[in-house]
Parts: sequence; structure tokens; C-alpha cells
Amino acid sequence: MTAAAVAPTSAPAPTRPRRTWVGALIGASLAILAVVSLFVGVSDVSPAALLAGGSDGPAAFLLVSSRIPRTVAVILVGASLGIAGLIMQMLVRNRFVEPGTTGVTEFATLGMLVVMIFQPAMPVPGKMAVAAVFGLFGTWVFLRVIRAVPVRQLVLVPLVGIMLAGIVGSITAFFAYRLDLLQSLGQWAQGSFATVMAGRYEFVWIAGAMVVVAWFAADRFSVIGLGEEFAVNLGLDYRRVVAIGMVVIAVITAAVLVTAGMIPFLGLVVPNVVSIIIGDNVRRSIPWVAGLGAAFVLACDLIARTVRFPYEIPLSVVVGVVGAGLFLWLLLRKGSRAH
Amino acid sequence: MITARPLLAASLALVTGIALAGCASSEAGAELEETAETVSFTWDRNVAGEDEDPQFETTTVEAPLDPDTIVVFDIAALDTIGALGGEVAGAPLENVPDYLQGYLADDAFNVGTLFEADLLEIEAQQPDLIIIGGRSTALYDDLSRIAPTVDLSLTGSYLDTLERNTLFLGAVLGVEEEAAVAVDELSAGIDEARAVAAEAGTGLGIMVSGGSLSALAPAGDGADARSARGGLIYDLFGVEPVVDDIASATHGEPISFEFLVEYDPDYLWVVDRDAAIGTEGAEAAAAVLDNDIVEQTTAFADDHIVYLDATAWYVVFGGIDTTRLMIDDVLQIAG
Repeated sequence: MTAAAVAPTSAPAPTRPRRTWVGALIGASLAILAVVSLFVGVSDVSPAALLAGGSDGPAAFLLVSSRIPRTVAVILVGASLGIAGLIMQMLVRNRFVEPGTTGVTEFATLGMLVVMIFQPAMPVPGKMAVAAVFGLFGTWVFLRVIRAVPVRQLVLVPLVGIMLAGIVGSITAFFAYRLDLLQSLGQWAQGSFATVMAGRYEFVWIAGAMVVVAWFAADRFSVIGLGEEFAVNLGLDYRRVVAIGMVVIAVITAAVLVTAGMIPFLGLVVPNVVSIIIGDNVRRSIPWVAGLGAAFVLACDLIARTVRFPYEIPLSVVVGVVGAGLFLWLLLRKGSRAH
Repeated sequence: MITARPLLAASLALVTGIALAGCASSEAGAELEETAETVSFTWDRNVAGEDEDPQFETTTVEAPLDPDTIVVFDIAALDTIGALGGEVAGAPLENVPDYLQGYLADDAFNVGTLFEADLLEIEAQQPDLIIIGGRSTALYDDLSRIAPTVDLSLTGSYLDTLERNTLFLGAVLGVEEEAAVAVDELSAGIDEARAVAAEAGTGLGIMVSGGSLSALAPAGDGADARSARGGLIYDLFGVEPVVDDIASATHGEPISFEFLVEYDPDYLWVVDRDAAIGTEGAEAAAAVLDNDIVEQTTAFADDHIVYLDATAWYVVFGGIDTTRLMIDDVLQIAG
């Protein structure tokens, strides 16, 4: 442990209230939503059916092979995407970035396309690894580009990110179009948990592991969020912490992409909401961001499952609609610190 | 997300356009009128652009008899021309499936893609007749300046369109009798397959793509262009849908594996989209369906998961050989 580990962790707004009851509320809704998620679906998996069927009954089977994996996957994806957004915001010192608005997701998608073109039979771990490497490269490119932007205005940073994402996205779209892979890519990229089941979701545990990594490095990210000079003056190995953050972001993005697809806005909205409630201390906000992210995606996935029952609508559509609304609220609310 | 949205919108618009085009022109039968040198082909052409409300204009084109150089954008027309003994000089070569390669002239040239024509190349080859349909209907204005261009898109029911197109192409190629025989043979084959399918209980058509499942839809009462693709399993072959409210959309509605267990059709008819578009080695539909949940279904237990020829059902549909493939796919359950 270096001195950095015990570096002062005072957040920019040190006297923000603890708001424990909001945290309890998030925790409670997460628990309730998770239980509801176990019992909502096409087939009859209710507590009654479970009791009637016993441990070998069809309800118990579906609970284990379909409902629990789906619920776990949704929770891990929600939690880890929130964390990826939080860390990205600390690295860039900007409230309006997340992997989806900085080109990281687009680079990871490009990685998926490269796999589809050259090694379509590659097993999922390989696909994820390639997507993660591309995502890592994308994070690096974004950070380099941002450094080169002379005026670090608040809105300029996400704008540059969105442009970068647009460029990479159009390259991907061009090659996918030329090679007739647009729809396959679209299917991969479309966020949905419809076909999640035991044996088809396990890679999101890696994203979950990244949340733990982020938790361990939380204080350092707080310091990074104060700026490079400040961090170096405190004796922090700036480059190494940034590198850890980049890996966490890239791996989470890739794991979520291969399992569920793209889920917009989440990494942007959730950390911002948490910041409004309890401030910018990363160690404090990590459980909040993870919990709120998980609860948010759980709620959206429940909507996706029930609106067109027994069919599903893509989760990304639900998250997009709800997330866009929240995002606008963040932008327009009075006295927004994001301005 | 940034790439996916406009693409999704564009493809939705395209699909809607095709569906609407099919609806409104479904009454227009072909009136074949043969003179010494030409066959007259009349159809309702949608002159509104993509994304617009369709606007139909009755169009008549005099197609030359026995043309030397035929350019085809509609793969089903390539199929029918070849099966009737003709040969095609130009086609979107990358979209021609293996089983139809033999119907191309040895020195066949590439005319572009299904959506985009290589106008300079086509003009240089001076074709006598150009055939478009479905995805390529929007090319009409450009192509009709080069040579007589007819649109053989699906209108009305699958069988009506098959008959209309086959008889028209038979007339053009000067093999009316063979064309009539082919139509009769295909009708008989479809009737036979329908009889088999009628015994088979309920069915569900699903499409597997990129690891996701969607339920395919019957076209319902308005049996029109939407009845193409996987929906033909219900509309053409009379399979009784296990659920009857699937929205009529060309790509079906996303479903979970649980859906298969809950609705438990007697037969599962699978279109493997990645195989259809030639994503070689992509996770095959069989691998996606090889899991514990699918094993709970009746279709799995009875070995009633039928993999349809994805190219025929999804990409081409409408030609003579292709319809034979589809009939065989259904007949295989007779064992």
C-alpha cells in the first residue's frame, strides 16, 4: 500500500448529507424487483407452482435454468454498467461521458464485427476478449483525443466522444453493410435478455468482478477525479490508476455487449443521479451506483417482458425511452451542477 | 446504439414499404398479351418514395420475346428463368445462392447489390430485359431508362404471384407449356405438403439470428407480401399456428426460450437467418436451440424440430426450384 491509499478522500462537496434512507430505499426496491423478476415470465413459475411441483417440477427447473440466470444477469449488467460510467466520468472529469457516448462501445462492436468476419465460429469467451481489447483501445483513443482538445469545456468533451463514436460506428456499419452482416450485428448489439439462460450468461460475472476491482480502487478514482496534477502531488501513480480504470471500463463494456447487447444512457444517468443525492466520493457512491443501476435495469427488463406479453420488446428500447427522459431531467433541472 | 438506430429505422421503413406495396396492388392480376415481338406485362407500380405513403400507377411494359441479355435483380426470377431453361446474363452475383449458380451465364456480370445498381455496367452490357422485385423495386426509374424493366414483386398470395411470374417468364422465353406444367406441378406439390402439414398438429415458425429467437407471423386474412419468408409455413402450407396473435412483421417478435416450453407447439419450424445470409460458421440455430430449456418441449422430445432451407425460405422465395425446396422441407415430416 502506498501513501495514495490513505490519501484524503474528501469529495468536492464534503458536507453532503448521508441520506441513508435513500440508500435503504434503493436496496429495498432492488430486492423487491429481483424477487418479482424471478416470478415474471411466459411460463407459470409462482411460489404456488414451485410448492406444487417440488424440487423436480417444471417450475423449479425453469426457476433454476431461466429465471435465476436472467435476474442475476440483469443485476450484474445494471450494476457494472453504472460503475463503468462512474469511472469513466472520474477519468475524464466530466459528468456527461459513459462508454456509450465516448466510442468505447462502438469500438467493442467493431471488435465483434471483426470476429464475425474472420472467426465467426469463435466461442463466446474469445469474442468477449476481442471486444474487450477493442474497447480498451477505444478508451485509450478517447482519452488521447480529449487531451488534445484545447478547451476542456463541459459540453465539448462528450461532443468529441459522440463524434468519435459516430466515426467508429460508421466504419463498422460500412463493413457490416458491405459484407451483409448488418442484421446479425444488429441482433448482437440490440440490448435484450430474452435468450439469457443457464449456460448463456455466465460472462457477466466477469463484469461483476470488475465492480469489485473498482471498489478496491475507489479512493484512487476519487483522487483522479480531482485532476492529474492534484493526484500526482498526492503521490498517486496516475498512469496506473488510469490504466486500471480503462481495463475495468473495457471489460465491463465487452462482457455486457456479448451477453445482452448495448444498453444506452445507463452509465450516464445512474452516476449523475447518485452524485446529486450523495456527492462525488467514489467509495461512498459505488454501492449506490451499483444498486441503482441494477434496480433500473431490472425495472426496465420487467417492462420489456410484460408490455407485449408473451413476446418481448428489446430492453434497449425501454432503457432508451426511460433513460432519455431522466437525462433530459438532469440537463434541465434547476441549479444543475452538471451545467 | 448510434449506428443501430438509423439502420433499424431504415429497415423498418423498407419492410413497411414492401408490405404496403403488396397490400394495395394485390388485386392487380397480370394480363399477358403476346404479340409477335413482345409480351405485355401490367402491374401497379408504387411510385412514391420509400417512407412515403404508397402511390400506385398502373404500368405496362412490353417485354421483348426471347431476349438475349436478361438482367435480374430478383433472385426468384433468376430461379424461374433457369428452371425454364433460360439463362441470365447479369445478376447481383453476391446474392445468388449456390443452388442457383448454374442458371447464370458463364460470363455473367455483376449488376450491383439487391439495393444498389451498377448502372454504368448494366448500360454497357445493353440488356434486352431487366427484372426487379422486392428489395430492388426502388431501382425502377433508373433501370427503365436503360431497358424494359418489369417488377415481379410478390403481390396477392404467394401462389398467385408464383403463377403470374412463371407464366410471364414462360411467355418471354417462349416456353409457355413448360411454364404451365411447372405451375401445375408446384400447385400439386403444395397441396400434398398442405395435407401432410394438416396432420402435423400445431406449429411455430421461429427465426434464429445472432443467438436471439423471434416468432414468425402468419399474414392472417390479408395474405399479401407479408406472408413471405417464414410466415409461408402458415399461409402457404397451412400449418396451424400455435399462437395466433403474432404481429405481422417480416422479422417476427422477440421471444424467450420459455415461450417455446409454454406454448409447446407440436412442430418447431426453424429459419436459421445467419445461415441464410451466409454467415459461415456463425453459431448455428441448432447450437442455439441445443439447451436444457428447449429439451423440455414436445417438439424436441418427438424430434419435431424442422430446420428449413434458410436461403429458400428467407432470401429467395418465389422461384420454381425454391418452391420445390420449400415443399420438400415440409414433406420431410411425412417420413
